[in-house]
Amino acid sequence: MVQIYPGTSQVAQNRRNFTNPEYELDKLREISDEDVVKILGHKAPGEEYKSVHPPLDEMDEPDDSVRELVAPIDGAKAGDRIRYIQFVDSMYFAPAQPFLRARSYLSRFRGIDTGTLSGRQVVEARERDLEKLSKTLLETEYFDTARTGIRGAGVHGHSLRLDENGLMFDMLRRQVFNKETGKVEMVKDQVGRELDEPVVLGEPLDEETLRAKTTIYRIDGEAYKDDVEAVKVCQRIHVSRSFGAFNPVTGW
Amino acid sequence: MADKKFLDAMKKKFSEDPTEKTTQFYNMGGWTQSEKKTAFVNEGKEIAKKRGIPMYNPDIGTPLGQRALMSYQLSTTDTFVEGDDLHFINNAAIQQAWDDIRRTVIVGLNTAHNVLEKRLGIEVTPETITNYLETVNHAMPGAAVVQEHMVETDPLVVQDSYVKVFTGDDELADEIDSAFVLDINKEFPEEQAEALKAEVGGAIWQAVRIPSIVGRVCDGGNTSRWSAMQIGMSMISAYNQCAGEGATGDFAYASKHAEVIHMGTYLPVRRARAENELGGVPFGFMADICQASRVSPDDPVKTSLEVVALGAALYDQIWLGSYMSGGVGFTQYATAAYTDNVLDDFTYYGKDYVEDKYGGLTEAPNNMDTVLDVGTEVAFYALEQYEEYPALLETHFGGSQRASVISAAAGCSTAFATGNAQTGLSAWYLAMYLHKEQHSRLGFYGFDLQDQCGAANVFSIRNDEGLPLEMRGPNYPNYAMNVGHQGEYAGIAQAPHAARGDAWAFNPLVKIAFADKNLVFDFSKVREEFAKGALREFEPAGERTAITPAK
Repeated sequence: MVQIYPGTSQVAQNRRNFTNPEYELDKLREISDEDVVKILGHKAPGEEYKSVHPPLDEMDEPDDSVRELVAPIDGAKAGDRIRYIQFVDSMYFAPAQPFLRARSYLSRFRGIDTGTLSGRQVVEARERDLEKLSKTLLETEYFDTARTGIRGAGVHGHSLRLDENGLMFDMLRRQVFNKETGKVEMVKDQVGRELDEPVVLGEPLDEETLRAKTTIYRIDGEAYKDDVEAVKVCQRIHVSRSFGAFNPVTGW
Repeated sequence: MADKKFLDAMKKKFSEDPTEKTTQFYNMGGWTQSEKKTAFVNEGKEIAKKRGIPMYNPDIGTPLGQRALMSYQLSTTDTFVEGDDLHFINNAAIQQAWDDIRRTVIVGLNTAHNVLEKRLGIEVTPETITNYLETVNHAMPGAAVVQEHMVETDPLVVQDSYVKVFTGDDELADEIDSAFVLDINKEFPEEQAEALKAEVGGAIWQAVRIPSIVGRVCDGGNTSRWSAMQIGMSMISAYNQCAGEGATGDFAYASKHAEVIHMGTYLPVRRARAENELGGVPFGFMADICQASRVSPDDPVKTSLEVVALGAALYDQIWLGSYMSGGVGFTQYATAAYTDNVLDDFTYYGKDYVEDKYGGLTEAPNNMDTVLDVGTEVAFYALEQYEEYPALLETHFGGSQRASVISAAAGCSTAFATGNAQTGLSAWYLAMYLHKEQHSRLGFYGFDLQDQCGAANVFSIRNDEGLPLEMRGPNYPNYAMNVGHQGEYAGIAQAPHAARGDAWAFNPLVKIAFADKNLVFDFSKVREEFAKGALREFEPAGERTAITPAK
């Protein structure tokens, strides 16, 4: 078996699931292509992709063995500009968490550049490829409408207590809970520009499902210290890095 | 609910119980909930009216105050303040802490005395030394001693400038006018005093303070030059020298180069700073500048965390937060290490664990087993507090804040166990890994990149790859843009020495030079001083009121 992530807990298994490209992610909701474009806010729905260079076929590129070996992704082939989607994951049992995103993106998506912080996680790609991967990230178990935020800027919220509807704090209130429908609606794009019509993201996942799918260890869920195998591997990495630079044979 | 040291602060900061997982947002009144920001608005309006250019307006940009704008308790004090009060521009105590370091240089008198006695046949006695000190205390603030018709500085502006001496020779110290002596016996507990005096021996050193305002107008590199010039002139005057004779060159060389200890070393051109700028102050020096070790020798946690506070304010808020980054202070996450008694709670937990497990401090084997044991235990305890108390997680709302505090507690506790800063540092890195895996997040790219590679140079003591922690500093490779770390590293450098009861961490001369009641900032109670600054009760030096129109 591929050693994707150590541990015997459900959290460890979830981390393996997300990171294993062979694992088929649960699709939890339908977001139309047009709505994905609206949420991203990089262009209007139906608008042509902006180009930063001519299509590769029309470019007189020098011979290069790496170019032969690596098939360009669609957006690169077409000359698309590079755009982004950024998520904020609540520490209160959001399904995906920042480093899990980075590790899983790198095994699932080609042609990306991803950056990880405590309170936000960005992924950049050529625009048409970004739209495709964004759809996956929004429709599948990567996303919960209440505990996952889509936020280009003004990101604080991952560590804050939840509001009375179970939603993560967002100073720009991009995702709002509609009490009548019980669904969360996106009323602004990811950088906070108002949308003409809200995008209905759907109902929040219930607490039980969130806890079953989450990739964060917490003592009120699964405690990391109880996942003895995972902790041992982490400690072993520390010891190896420490001694490897000093005396790999005898230690110190 | 257990006796957690941070709970009082949590109860004051938020209306809900600290364990409550939900709260209300968006109905707090925005920035108007803050007294300070409301005052800023009024001040900004006045200024705009006067100068004709718009100024402060918190309605521009992101909407401030969509959640509770919480207060902060200066750890170990009863003082609650607003975050704005801890910005270094708004806090005169933080500024003065830096002023007092930047304007200090330690200069030996030993070379000069040798020249006088062995080359010129002039007798040096306690009386001549006292006479010299009277002279240099006239000259150091910016007065003339050798030539007439010289312009001089107004004493009101430079009243914080003076020179004192210290020596390990009790007899000599007794015979010099006490106004000029840093009395090691008075300032330090007996055992520490004996150790310090043994280290200094019969040598005599000057703790030189140039005026605060000189450091602000010029730079840290000017400290040794200003000092050397005044020392040279005072030597000429006190010992009736010829201003041009060869020996005066030796005095100048000794006081500019041969017998000078700068508080910070010169930085390479890519950082372009002279001596006595914060980037060159080694962690061990910062530990020795802090004086908690002599006033609280039986409390290694307090001793170490006072160093953390000093380092967090100076290295993070001033050096990296502004000098290096061009940013406006990095206040929010630097202050996490010295507010709300959070790091205190985690570190006392670690100390208790070490005492219970190993039968006392510095009793554990100095090896990786201890790092894994203590580092893991303390990291897990700290991480769990954020999970048990949502108010605490909301207080340290950035991962960088949590990472610094968790790892600092793990590092200090391990150093308490082993009595060695290097194993403490190793636990810092271990705690970073554990945190990263438990929460699947750490800080931001620039914050935690060094935490993910730093373990490799903890035990590798080779040039440019590794150093004893006491000798590392903000300019150490990989630490140079390392916000939220350096105050904590300084604390970990202090921790083993605090546990061992050492009189100093790295340099005994630095420790003695700052055991000085005449300093404007009291380095024995850093957090109390910052609190005074936040309350606008701290009286700094180097003010220009004497030379500006009366208001």
